[in-house]
Amino acid sequence: MAQITFIEANGQRKVVKANVGESVMRAALDNGVEGIAAECGGCLSCATCHAYVDPDWADKIPAPSEEERVMVECAIDVRPTSRLTCQLLVTDELDGLVIEIPTSQY
Amino acid sequence: MQYREYPPLSEPPAHVPSELIRDVDIFNLPGAKDGVHAAWKRLQTEMPPVFWTPRNGGYWMAVRAKEILEIQNDAVTYSMRASLVPRNPRPYPAPPMDFDPPEHTPWRILISPAFSPKVVAEVEDMARQTAVALIESFVPRGEVEFVSEFTKVLPIVVFLTMMHLPPEDREQLLPFADAIVKSPHPTKIHEARLGLKAYIERAVADRRANPRDDLITKILNSKVAGQPVDEAHAVGMLTLLLSGGLDTVKNLLGFCALFLATHPEHVRQLVNKPELIPHAAEELLRRHGVSNTARLVTKDAVLAGVELKEGDQIQQFSGLVGLDSETVSDPMTVDFSRPAPIPHATFGNGPHRCPGSILAKRELLLWLEEWLKRIPEFRVKPGTVPQQDAGMVNNVSELWLSWDLRS
Repeated sequence: MAQITFIEANGQRKVVKANVGESVMRAALDNGVEGIAAECGGCLSCATCHAYVDPDWADKIPAPSEEERVMVECAIDVRPTSRLTCQLLVTDELDGLVIEIPTSQY
Repeated sequence: MQYREYPPLSEPPAHVPSELIRDVDIFNLPGAKDGVHAAWKRLQTEMPPVFWTPRNGGYWMAVRAKEILEIQNDAVTYSMRASLVPRNPRPYPAPPMDFDPPEHTPWRILISPAFSPKVVAEVEDMARQTAVALIESFVPRGEVEFVSEFTKVLPIVVFLTMMHLPPEDREQLLPFADAIVKSPHPTKIHEARLGLKAYIERAVADRRANPRDDLITKILNSKVAGQPVDEAHAVGMLTLLLSGGLDTVKNLLGFCALFLATHPEHVRQLVNKPELIPHAAEELLRRHGVSNTARLVTKDAVLAGVELKEGDQIQQFSGLVGLDSETVSDPMTVDFSRPAPIPHATFGNGPHRCPGSILAKRELLLWLEEWLKRIPEFRVKPGTVPQQDAGMVNNVSELWLSWDLRS
């Protein structure tokens, strides 16, 4: 288990207990976090599970794959810490992770 | 490429139990001309979850949500290399669709960005202007044949513009689009696909000679698995993109328009509360799936207790996932107040999920918004009969709509 804090676009914080091995996208969907569409279900083809990793965490998470790098650029309002949450797998090391949800996926 | 014709009925292979054989011809589905989705739904309630039809070459059909999702999510056991019924290869190499993971992935990454949220947002204005111009051209008439004057045109213009091809080329492409939608016969559809391919070949040759900052040039200059993309694959992939967005979007819009034309109370809800439209679009998508792709079974497998053999073909109707009462309650009813997210598999699932889904949804949304602003009440034109049928893609080939002119 790892604790992840999602900050929704309206500022509301949702603290979620995520299972190790599942994706951050799945943890968000299963816990009613608003603002993650995840159209393709996690196969890296839609860029609608886009979110911002808290800058303090940016260096502590695994770097994106080349495919994710290509696809994250397809999202709206991309920032330096943008990630596709379907590609971020929950590990014990991610306990305390803070993720900010963008205003819109489209 | 030679097109293979199959006999009306094929002899089932020895491993198919006789009690699982049902005579179902998707090109002649009972009741489909009165209501395609109700006809598919009857298969779901009346047939075994997985059964064999001797029609169109002979193959398995999966009609319930559970097995359809299992097929979609296991793209290795259930390969898209045999996606057409009757079983024939596409007349061109068609990555990423015809490729299995992991070979599929680099091809998919080439095209997914071209239909991403960012790009769709960029083309939305153009698509909306196109839709508005089309609608305003026929509003004063009080009637329209919706398929020929709207659904057939919008996706072609959007595609051409996104590919940086001249929008006026739609005139050469419309006859092929027309054949794909209106022809019940697979051979005619095959010929139309070849026509689209010839068009794309010319476009690719032009970009080879005159590179530009566009998707065609980008594909031509790309490498997949370390190898430059060859002409045949570039042409095949672009033809697949073109044909993939034509009949699907067209028929989706056709079914949604037919539904709304016969359900004025649903229209009133949207006219009174336009902010409902995005959610309503999702519900309309759930209820009106269009694509019925098949799969090649690549290794012996068991599905719903049925033993499938390597080399068998199995067809899954994506739209039946959203019409299964295991997915939503009262599935045949369109209910704009269903809680979000509304589950369905209209765009498929897994690695082959429709790459154009965001674009398709946007076209549906902007049609609803712009149409209802200008034509807030409409009906099927009295004295006409909407033409719909089942097939590889469920289709609406003719739909006359009419409305009262405001004085």
